Amino acid sequence: MIYLLGKYLHPNFEPFSFLRLVEYISARAIGAALTAIILTLALTPLVIRYLHRRGMVDQWRNTGVSSAFDKAGTPAMGGAIVAGCVLVSCLLWCNMSNLYLLAVLAGMVWFGGIGLVDDIAKTKARSGDGGMSETKKLLLQATFAAGLALFLASPWSPLPAGHAGAFYVPFVKAPLFASLWLYLPIVFFFVVVVGNAVNIADGMDGLAIVPSVFAIGVLGFFGYLLGNAIWARYLNYPFYPGTGELAVFASAFAGAGIGFLWFNAYPAQIFMGDTGSMAIGGSIAVLSVMLKQEALFLILGGLFVAEAATSQIQDKIGIRWLGRRIFMRAPLHHAMQHNGLAETKVVIRLWIVSGILALAALATLKLR
Amino acid sequence: MQEIRRILLTGGGTAGHVNPALAIGSALDSGKTRFLFVGVRGRIEEQVVPREGMPIKYVRASGFPGTLSPALLPFLANLSIGILQSLWILYRFRPDVIVGTGGYVSAPIVMAAAVLRKLRLSHARVFIHEQNAVPGKLNQLMGRFADRILVTFPETLSFFPANGALAGYPLRRRIAAVGREEALKKIDFPIPEHRKVVLVFGGSQGSRTINRALVDALRHLLPFRDRLFIVHGTGLMKSRQYDASADTEARVRRLYEGEELGQIESFYLHRPYFYNIENLYAVSDLVIARAGAGSLNEISAMGLPALIIPKSNLPGNHQVMNARSMERAGGAEILYEQIAPVDGRLDEWLDGKALAEAIASLALDDDRLERLRHRSREFLNRDALGRIARIIRAEDAGETEAAPGAPLPGTGPEEERLPGNRALLLLLEKAERSHPHLYNPETVVGRPQDLEFYRNRASALLIHPSWPERNLGVKLLGLLHAREKAPALVTLLRERKQASLLKRCLGGDFEQVGFIRRNIVTALVRMDALDEGIEAALLEALGDPYYEVQAEAARAAAHFGSRLPSRERFVCALLENLKDRNLDVSTAAAEALGVIGGERDALPALLKLWDTRFWKMRAAALRGLYLLVERGEVSDPKALETEIPRFILTSTDFRPHFEIKSTYRRLMESLSRTKEKGLRP
Repeated sequence: MIYLLGKYLHPNFEPFSFLRLVEYISARAIGAALTAIILTLALTPLVIRYLHRRGMVDQWRNTGVSSAFDKAGTPAMGGAIVAGCVLVSCLLWCNMSNLYLLAVLAGMVWFGGIGLVDDIAKTKARSGDGGMSETKKLLLQATFAAGLALFLASPWSPLPAGHAGAFYVPFVKAPLFASLWLYLPIVFFFVVVVGNAVNIADGMDGLAIVPSVFAIGVLGFFGYLLGNAIWARYLNYPFYPGTGELAVFASAFAGAGIGFLWFNAYPAQIFMGDTGSMAIGGSIAVLSVMLKQEALFLILGGLFVAEAATSQIQDKIGIRWLGRRIFMRAPLHHAMQHNGLAETKVVIRLWIVSGILALAALATLKLR
Repeated sequence: MQEIRRILLTGGGTAGHVNPALAIGSALDSGKTRFLFVGVRGRIEEQVVPREGMPIKYVRASGFPGTLSPALLPFLANLSIGILQSLWILYRFRPDVIVGTGGYVSAPIVMAAAVLRKLRLSHARVFIHEQNAVPGKLNQLMGRFADRILVTFPETLSFFPANGALAGYPLRRRIAAVGREEALKKIDFPIPEHRKVVLVFGGSQGSRTINRALVDALRHLLPFRDRLFIVHGTGLMKSRQYDASADTEARVRRLYEGEELGQIESFYLHRPYFYNIENLYAVSDLVIARAGAGSLNEISAMGLPALIIPKSNLPGNHQVMNARSMERAGGAEILYEQIAPVDGRLDEWLDGKALAEAIASLALDDDRLERLRHRSREFLNRDALGRIARIIRAEDAGETEAAPGAPLPGTGPEEERLPGNRALLLLLEKAERSHPHLYNPETVVGRPQDLEFYRNRASALLIHPSWPERNLGVKLLGLLHAREKAPALVTLLRERKQASLLKRCLGGDFEQVGFIRRNIVTALVRMDALDEGIEAALLEALGDPYYEVQAEAARAAAHFGSRLPSRERFVCALLENLKDRNLDVSTAAAEALGVIGGERDALPALLKLWDTRFWKMRAAALRGLYLLVERGEVSDPKALETEIPRFILTSTDFRPHFEIKSTYRRLMESLSRTKEKGLRP
């Protein structure tokens, strides 16, 4: 809205000429970040008290970790604040007719919505295991993934003609292949898997939000460069006009994420819940797909990959099938804790790891 | 009440299903009634039914696999063909009443009848008779299609709350009550005077478990040879694996010789089969038998005291439940089969000595026999056939007092259903968690007979083909403190049959997976069982390829502590584990060394750990040292006092303390104390 207002005012009214700033993505990005951070800092305490009053607090679940007991009674659903503030900030600062942006927002809201329903079901059932069924969640996620794949293949896709089926991998200049038949199934699985990956990392105070900010920040930076004709040519990327808007989204998210961390830092006053982890997962998934950086997730989201992989291997192969533990504990952060690291230390170490991974992902911009 | 003109009987596979069908048929026969029997070709009904002069038709059917498995496909194919055949049969015969006596044989007809009823093409009323205390899965399903389920045992009503009716068992021929004197004359072997006669049989085919156990039991019964006479029907089984009669004879010859053999022959006699069993019933003082519904009701009809040995591992555990029904009624006592090591593998097994003790204590106690005899007689519903006929006739004429489908009044008390294995596990775990030191399975379970039943049900799981079930059995045995099952657990723990190649590539090792082995060690500690075999198995477990087993075995060593006779060897193995890279293994070893180690071996090894990288290891070493000091194993405390401060005490972990939460807890505890005081007068 500020974007539209500025666009209308600055050519027509002399006193508002400073509003030409809205034409600059960098300026809007800063505005979006500040708006989101102020909103979260202001709203979260109110929401925390509201959730306590309604009794919508986290339910105890036996994870085999002793500290988990002390955490019962902390409200979840903090993710709704993050997603809500990102949404408001984007409404104010973004060009809402940009299809890249709309796709990402749709991913965030859809996945966040699934998480929200799940969280509410859990508090209603008064049990950490009483949420939505695994199959139902997966079906809803798959619906969105299929919709996104169809959207990319349709004539309304914002990608330049001939780019829809291209699949890029880091460190290689040319696309690995360009075929819709191969690409769309990849998109489908990518969205479903990544949409859930953050959920597993969300097991300790502050553990999920910081790596998410790193990941979305890097993807926003990619969006800024790919949407800029000069930078895209310089870095030898295809030029996708309009992806710059994703940089504004990313900075709004970074602002909201840091505002959330204020309260989520150990010992947490609020958790992001499935609402948050799924909204973030959905955002990362759609961002990567729209920027054609799916394969980059292996590096950029390496932490999420490791968390999800250890947890799945442990549970599906080890405990259910082989009848033994393969890792001493899973996911990764529980394994570290089991080996004698305090929760705070595990979290900070994994932040460092995700920071290194984010830098490595940035390096792929030039190393091609 | 009009007579029923056309009756279709279906059921078969075994005599236990065919005979009740024929019995019900004859009870409903008015002379003008037309009958048709529907069975499966190649099963026992093919011989029995035509002999009775009843027309028979055949349909396709096969046993229900019970779970989702590839075997489901042929089952569904056969069932579909069977239903089509049944539709044709029903269309041609147009029965007024259909009576199914279970087994998979009656499934196609019952389902086809349900289809025709839905289409309003048939008016036939469908009745199912369930002989066993626990209905098979297929019968439970068919219960939805039937108008009335007639059950033998009151316990079964809970499976059919909507349309069950207690009827009893339709005994086919009224076994003539022969007088003792008359019977003695008819029996073709002499029975000495003034002896208690014990009749033992495991069904017409015979039971290997019972046959072998009885021969073993004879040695322990020798002292009572002047007061007992044992008549043993070994059964007609003659397969490649087992020839009942020959195997029994050979076992007697192998175990006993010379004078002993002569003594045994003076009070023991075995035959493959007794054709006029009513004569033997008439002279018997005690019957030992399997728990098929037919056998139990025959015994009850004769009013005989019984020692029942139910076969375990049958669908729904129905023999055990049948036996429990009679035991609850006071007409029988139960002796459970065991799952125990036989030639190094777990198998069903019955201890000869236990059988001998049960026989001697029961057969020679006149008061107990009299009590059992009295109750046994009451157990059977003597009017079962009449009652079944009345129910069927009334419903056919639409004369029921209750609306169709509603339960009939006065169908007997409904016994509460016992928890299944999984529910029992949750129950016991919860009890143990809330009072770890006071935990005692007897107080959780209540009735001692139930505890024994649970233990046997759990041990039957040990030979289940799927590992999660075996694992469940192991956990239950531990929580139920089933010490007598410890040898079986040890056998399982030491079994080294490899898992499939694919599983081994991914980190699996043996068929008895890591969790099972770990839980066996836990169970042995829980039941506090220790003997030579267990000690050897624990020592071996300290070197198990799976780390959780090693760690658990170290904890077990600490638990048994000074009770371990070969302490030295345990210390050696633990010193080896102390160097393990896995923290779970090495920390458990350090603590165990504190409990069973000494100044010479454990102390220097633990002191050496002062600068290891992981604080958990250093903490475990300090705990071990503390235990050594507390046990008085340290002769030079002064020297130790200078050594210990070297330990690196930096830690990467801590326990958070939440001021507000502890205050809250104190407040709540104080409140509950106040509440208790207030309640006191």
